[in-house]
Amino acid sequence: MNAAATDFSTVDMRDAFFLRLYDIARQDPAVVLLSNDFGAPSLDRFRADLAGQFVNAAISEQNMISMAAGMAMAGRKPVVYSIASFLTLRALEQVKVDICVMGAKVMLVGVGCGYAYSVDGPTHHATEDIAIMRALSGMAVWSPSESPVAGAMADLIHDLPGPAYLRFDRGRWPSLGELDLERGLRVLGSGDDVVIVATGIMTHRALAVAEALRQSGTACRVVDLVRLSPPARSELAAALAAAGRVVTIEEQAAPGGLGGLVAEFMADEGLLRPLLRLAIDPAKVFAYGERDRLHRDRGLDLDGAVTRIGAWMGR
Amino acid sequence: MPLTVPVDDLKRKANQLRRQVLEMSYAHGGHISTCYSYVEILVALYYGGILRHDPQRPEWAERDRFLLSKGHGETLLFAALADMGYFPAEWCDTAYRGGECRLGGHVDHKIPGIETTSGALGHGLGLGCGMAWAAGRAGHGHHHYVLMGDAECSEGSVWEAALFAARHNLGNLVAIVDRNRIGSLDFTENYIALEPFADKWRAFGWEVREVIDGHDFHQLTQALTAKRPADRPLMVIAHTVKGKGVAAFENDPTWHVRAVTADLIDQARAELRGESR
Repeated sequence: MNAAATDFSTVDMRDAFFLRLYDIARQDPAVVLLSNDFGAPSLDRFRADLAGQFVNAAISEQNMISMAAGMAMAGRKPVVYSIASFLTLRALEQVKVDICVMGAKVMLVGVGCGYAYSVDGPTHHATEDIAIMRALSGMAVWSPSESPVAGAMADLIHDLPGPAYLRFDRGRWPSLGELDLERGLRVLGSGDDVVIVATGIMTHRALAVAEALRQSGTACRVVDLVRLSPPARSELAAALAAAGRVVTIEEQAAPGGLGGLVAEFMADEGLLRPLLRLAIDPAKVFAYGERDRLHRDRGLDLDGAVTRIGAWMGR
Repeated sequence: MPLTVPVDDLKRKANQLRRQVLEMSYAHGGHISTCYSYVEILVALYYGGILRHDPQRPEWAERDRFLLSKGHGETLLFAALADMGYFPAEWCDTAYRGGECRLGGHVDHKIPGIETTSGALGHGLGLGCGMAWAAGRAGHGHHHYVLMGDAECSEGSVWEAALFAARHNLGNLVAIVDRNRIGSLDFTENYIALEPFADKWRAFGWEVREVIDGHDFHQLTQALTAKRPADRPLMVIAHTVKGKGVAAFENDPTWHVRAVTADLIDQARAELRGESR
């Protein structure tokens, strides 16, 4: 995996991706970028210089997905860009039938994970996308926690084995160190009282929680699960087996999300550990507000998470 | 262009396929009236010299693409593809059977000669748009024919694709609507205003041709092949009779999904024998 020479640590996740994709698309005319009339400053150069490889598919997500599948069947390498909630919900049947059933090599890029579009509210929140997309047969689900990894993911378009969904957060997220994209996860820290599994930018939250717990005498390691589906089985199993307790933390409605993924995984692997799922209470998913506040009210902020984990551990 | 194949040959082929669909449906049930509705359209395309294709090379890059967007019309397409040699005729004998079956209740992309999986409606035109856009950009000369049902055109995604195709001048895209005026439950105009249907497509920027009798090979061929603007997608609205060919199936919404029962099979067989004489 070529992570490119550009320093992506100081740019927004999607900008890192588009900067790298621009270089790739210049070299490979098969790459086509489709957008549902949705832009980004980093896209302007792509649109100007590679007009023949950019399609504004209009606010027509169903048609955009069908067209991307048709383009893939015609030998193109389509990348479809949209706000994550529209990409995963509005056109879900097209994603299932036209992309997954037919194995079309289409890369879906959704921005705005979880509550990223904070005050814009439930229409723009992607609080179920993990559950939805990982349920689709053949769909690889990627959830980077930092801008450099998001940038490196553009290189997946060279040789996509099948459909892929990339979920990007907003903002600049610095590197958390080396990541082997083949494995799609990394273990941060080495404590063996608790392993905290996180994905996307919640990995940064998990690291802060781990540090707070460490100060109170609980040794933690954090798993940054970048490829949610399929997860690297042996590596994930090893990371979970190394600790006595498992916590998941995510900015998703609880049913079917990361916590569900880990619970299923442990059951399938016969790896039973006490499990605490920190996610959004299904009754409290729909809201408008500043992201920090939404986290705090749902116990997903640093203090809330530490308190809940402490209580769960009987401390 | 005029017919390049004697019209009697095409009529015989249409009758042969109707008879085969009858036997496959008798064994299984399914959407026989949907199939009978577009027999002549399919025969004109595949047997009338309109589609450029090669049954020995289903993946031939320069083939014209035929997308059956109304994927529940699969029985007829299976029968025709087997007849042309895309796969062994025996596959049709075991269709819909054998546990996990090779030929099931809707078209599937894994079957030789079938471009896209369908069954969920309103996908074909978008898939065709993507293919046509990519082929046009690459300078390929093949065409894309998407057959839709008229009731399918209630799907919003059809009109999303219609908007795109016109704006992007997809002259290599041909949509055909099997306008039999019947949906799954009722006559279309009883529950939704498709009409004025041709005007809608014209307003969306398409070249529109209506085929007054969608079972007439001369009319169909003329509409599908007459010279047209190179920079506009073509819509051919073929006015058809759902269930055409067997009186009991014709123009009756209840036949959308219904098994041919023993008391009807002999009568249907006799009618189709009569047509072939």
